[in-house]
Amino acid sequence: MTLFLVGLGLGLAGAMAGATLPARLRVITTAVCGSGACVVTFAAATRVLASNHSVNFHSGAVLPLTGIDLTLDPLGALFIATTAVVGLAAICYSVGYTEHALRSRSAMAMFPLFLTSLLLVPATSSVATFLVAWELMALTSMLLLLVEHRHSEAARDAYQWYATMTHLGAAAILIGLVLLAAHSGGQTFTDIGTHSAALSPALRSIAFLLVLVGFASKAGAVPLHVWLPRAHPEAPSPVSALMSGAMVNLGVYGIIRVGGSLLGGGFLWWWLVVIGLGVISAFYGALHASASSDLKRLLAYSTVDNIGLVLIAVGAAGALSVTGHRALAALAMLAALFHLINHSVFKGCLFLGAGAVERATGTRDLDRLGGLARRLPLTAVLFAIGAFSISALPGFNGFASEWLLLESLLHGFAAHGAATLVALLAGVAALALTGGLTAAAFVKALGIGFLGQPRSDGANSAHEVAPSMLAGMALLAIPCVVIGVAPGLLASPLRRASAVALGAASVTPLRPGLGLDLSGAAGAVQPLLLVIAVLAAMALTAAVVRLVGRRGARRAEAWGCGRELQTARMEYTATSFAEPLGRVFADVLRPDHDIEVTHVAESRYFAQAVRYQTRADDGIERSIYRPVINLVSLWGAFARRAQNGSVHRYLAYGFVALVVVLVALA
Amino acid sequence: MRRRSVLRSLLSRPVTEELARPTRMSENAHFRGSLQLRHVDVGSCNGCELEIASAFGPHYDAARFGARLVASPRHADGLLVTGVVTKNMAGPLQKTLEATPEPLVVIACGDCAVNGGLFAGAYGIEADLDELVEVDVRIPGCPPHPAAITEALRGLTGR
Repeated sequence: MTLFLVGLGLGLAGAMAGATLPARLRVITTAVCGSGACVVTFAAATRVLASNHSVNFHSGAVLPLTGIDLTLDPLGALFIATTAVVGLAAICYSVGYTEHALRSRSAMAMFPLFLTSLLLVPATSSVATFLVAWELMALTSMLLLLVEHRHSEAARDAYQWYATMTHLGAAAILIGLVLLAAHSGGQTFTDIGTHSAALSPALRSIAFLLVLVGFASKAGAVPLHVWLPRAHPEAPSPVSALMSGAMVNLGVYGIIRVGGSLLGGGFLWWWLVVIGLGVISAFYGALHASASSDLKRLLAYSTVDNIGLVLIAVGAAGALSVTGHRALAALAMLAALFHLINHSVFKGCLFLGAGAVERATGTRDLDRLGGLARRLPLTAVLFAIGAFSISALPGFNGFASEWLLLESLLHGFAAHGAATLVALLAGVAALALTGGLTAAAFVKALGIGFLGQPRSDGANSAHEVAPSMLAGMALLAIPCVVIGVAPGLLASPLRRASAVALGAASVTPLRPGLGLDLSGAAGAVQPLLLVIAVLAAMALTAAVVRLVGRRGARRAEAWGCGRELQTARMEYTATSFAEPLGRVFADVLRPDHDIEVTHVAESRYFAQAVRYQTRADDGIERSIYRPVINLVSLWGAFARRAQNGSVHRYLAYGFVALVVVLVALA
Repeated sequence: MRRRSVLRSLLSRPVTEELARPTRMSENAHFRGSLQLRHVDVGSCNGCELEIASAFGPHYDAARFGARLVASPRHADGLLVTGVVTKNMAGPLQKTLEATPEPLVVIACGDCAVNGGLFAGAYGIEADLDELVEVDVRIPGCPPHPAAITEALRGLTGR
């Protein structure tokens, strides 16, 4: 625990340094302190995961009345370790990134503070401490979102959405947790955990639903996701990486912690709701990811998709646990946590890569990119590793966890109850559909963004980014490959964390080994062997081609029907790539098409210019949020009449109120 | 060439005539039995196109002898060039030639492609086809008879 506190202290020291030191020293000092914080907390977390013992800490000094309570148990430690890895990469990356942005005093103070709060949340073990850490995380991330507000209208807009959603979510969590604390006679998680079984079912359900709403909005589950595709793209890239790689995880963490270990599993329908949220999120996120042509927006929607997959598995684990299938529940929870970790790693890598692209070209619009593989070769390779991982290609980590997800859901069919079966079936269908859509989205991101000819001057004149930024991406790309080749390495920490999550005795769903080998059911995959086989096949093919193939092949340019001028304007764009999908799913995406024809002045029979525009807005935002916003602004306009700023009027209100009170009392 | 009535041609089998020349098997062994052609119109009046369409139509049915028109030079064994090489089409002709895998055969179809024909020396003409690319087979005629086109193709496929 001392080690962990030292880590948090280093993070705070980084924040202090960022707030006080002059610009030159600021960047390097915060980087050193921040990376120190990550390394130290990672060490503390791995020690807990290795020993499987929880450590507690209580201090009355920091928070008045309640004091702070921290507990490092395997579940929290897993999240802390993941955050530390993503945080280390983001900090390393930010050294190069701060050459242009994110170097102001406030930004440099907030960045380590945000990281520290992310590390702190999974370690808190009382309602008060948790809420303080949670709110610190929300506030610091909000301020970081505003870093570029002077240049970007979109950042201000994103800030408003994020602030509203996160505060409503925090309010729901606050009410839910306080409700639990008030009825269990203590506000530490241990108190709630021991007394929760005695609480009335209605109270437990209300508390869970409130908490679920709050955490699901932080995790970006549909329909509470609307802030996510705005905030993640507009934040500076290291912050986006932390948001998508670490912050959304904590939403899932909250659901697991409260639903699983505090409320001891609860009822079946809770988890069916969670599966439902997951299915909708996965489908909706993947669809919008494959339709969007803004690189970071694509990544943000893909976060919604992946969190959906994790929620499906969390829900399946909860449902199986409630119905008494302990081993299957442990397997599903393990798959959920595994995918969460993998998502953090590859999505962090992809967001950092997208930031590098934005830095090098000045745009993140895929329709204006292209040809970056030649201009940013290292970024391209690292981004490709992330893209392969998220598309679940064998040999990369996404494959391992999605395989495990699918296995856990399929074996879950052994469970009883029609509702559970239907939910699991929907989960499998969502997994299959999003697998294809995600692959399409990342073929687009990689193929349109990095291959072909540059579609704008910015893309044409791009240069490789700073070495520290590349190192940051590499820090996340390497685990993608290592976990992908030997997923068995993570089996024991995952097993310990999922045992805590379910509050169950240790079931071992996986046999030891480098690959994944289910112990409770039939199913095994050895990514290492797959990789060796694929590499051997590639080497063999190359050798055969070299030996047998004809030498001196003539190379000619790509066939373009003999056109004299083949320009980048004739290339396939991201929008055209996504168009068929947009057509198939037009009922869900509901894209807007505008065609504007300008005629020549002399005659309406000749067009001077034709302008075509297509947009795929968020349909849920349009159909659910807009009416609410309109209603609120209507109410605001009404209230403004009463609140016109006149002191006399306010005095009159006070007088009337006083008279009413006096009359009422008399 | 025999002329047949429309009725008779509808009832009869496709025209098959004796080959006038011996097949140059040794030279064109690559294309024996199968010849995939990309048609390139570098400035034709479309007379040759009509006759090519007719040669590949049901009446002469050049496909019987292994010749086929394809959509891309990437799939082709050779080019079937019609018309006189205009200034605008000289570049695309060169690009099409580059895009065709080797070994390849270039067939000049019609007088315009063979020697400029009616348009030789006109102002919009780049050069004779001969001067720009190496022509292997020439089919004279303005336009050439479908039977002549079929015969030339049979000379290559050897069927």
